Amino acid sequence: MPDSHAAPDPAELIRAVAAGETGALRRLYDAQGSRLFGIALAILRDRDAAADALHDAVLKVAARAAQFDPARGEGAAWLGAIARNVALDLARARGRETLSDDPALGDAAVAPEALDRLAAAQQHGRLRDCLASLEARNRESILLAFVHGLSHAQIAARLELPLGTVKAWIRRGLLRLKGCLA
Amino acid sequence: MIPSDPEALDALAAEHVLGTLDAREAAEVARALPVNPALREAVAHWEARLAPLSDLARPEPPPAALWDRIEVSLADRAMPAPVRPIRVAPLWKAWAVGSTALAAGLAAFMLLRPAEPPRMMTVLLTSRDQPAWVVETEGGGLRLASLNPRPVESGRVQQLWALPPGATAPISLGLVPESGQVSVAPGLVRPEPGMLIEITLEPPGGSPIGRPTGPILFIGNLTPARSS
Repeated sequence: MPDSHAAPDPAELIRAVAAGETGALRRLYDAQGSRLFGIALAILRDRDAAADALHDAVLKVAARAAQFDPARGEGAAWLGAIARNVALDLARARGRETLSDDPALGDAAVAPEALDRLAAAQQHGRLRDCLASLEARNRESILLAFVHGLSHAQIAARLELPLGTVKAWIRRGLLRLKGCLA
Repeated sequence: MIPSDPEALDALAAEHVLGTLDAREAAEVARALPVNPALREAVAHWEARLAPLSDLARPEPPPAALWDRIEVSLADRAMPAPVRPIRVAPLWKAWAVGSTALAAGLAAFMLLRPAEPPRMMTVLLTSRDQPAWVVETEGGGLRLASLNPRPVESGRVQQLWALPPGATAPISLGLVPESGQVSVAPGLVRPEPGMLIEITLEPPGGSPIGRPTGPILFIGNLTPARSS
């Protein structure tokens, strides 16, 4: 775990990239590359594809850095969203919708202790508590979608549930989460 | 179709952030985001709610060679738009001897054909860095669309200006209509990368001196649009 006191603030790095400071993008890559590669890898489960995703994400970050607004959210979240969206688009292009399951996923993803890692960052404790209050399969569906980029159909196959049920659950789970976090 | 009903819009934003929309739906949301403030707002809220979940993905060092690849791509992008390939080589080969003059004439003709202007765009920001207008090149001119139309101070008008890189005085591109949509004809402006586009607050009829007199309300810098 990087020491949060020593780690450069992502928002500050994004600002430096936007200002065109020499070496700023490299500093941002050094500070955030592993986290962003991890996000893409969890979704794509293929190192080459995840590398493609990080490549595209870093170019997007360089092009859009000036649009980052610290008043609207944290730098780490902004970077994470860009990496996720690039990886999801790539997963879609690779025919995510037609896959029924992926043996490379394993079980570790939705193990209960994964949620405890959330609480390590204190401000995230609330989200963890709200997730914990959801029904187990609701929670699992949401994590499989967000962290692993699974489609409705893939989640349905994995949880051995009808597609319509999964869609309704996810919708309901998101609504509960919104109410709980409000 | 992006719903206008707030609950349906919020549900769509949630599934967009969650990542469960299919390719067609996701593309539709991506297209709507720059022009739909309510959708943008809902997506931003869901991003903020769910962002901590990305910490559940285990960090992993990227491949060592990846940074070099990124640098190459960055350098490619920084270069001026490549000249469009001109297919004269096969002609030269076919007419190896003889018709040289004709071929040269043909090549010159092809070179003289105007290349399609590169697409450029920018987002004009308020003084508080809030996105307010999308500007795109269109058929050699410019097209502007307001992201968040709001009333202009009474008794004043908004005037649009362009400042080409290196120039010292901006060119007036006319007054901004209430509709929040502006088209600038190619004759008035030659969009180029680095050109500043700004909207200022002016007295009725526009600036009397041909240069901005009021405060800058919105400003942005034209950059080449990605083709992807």
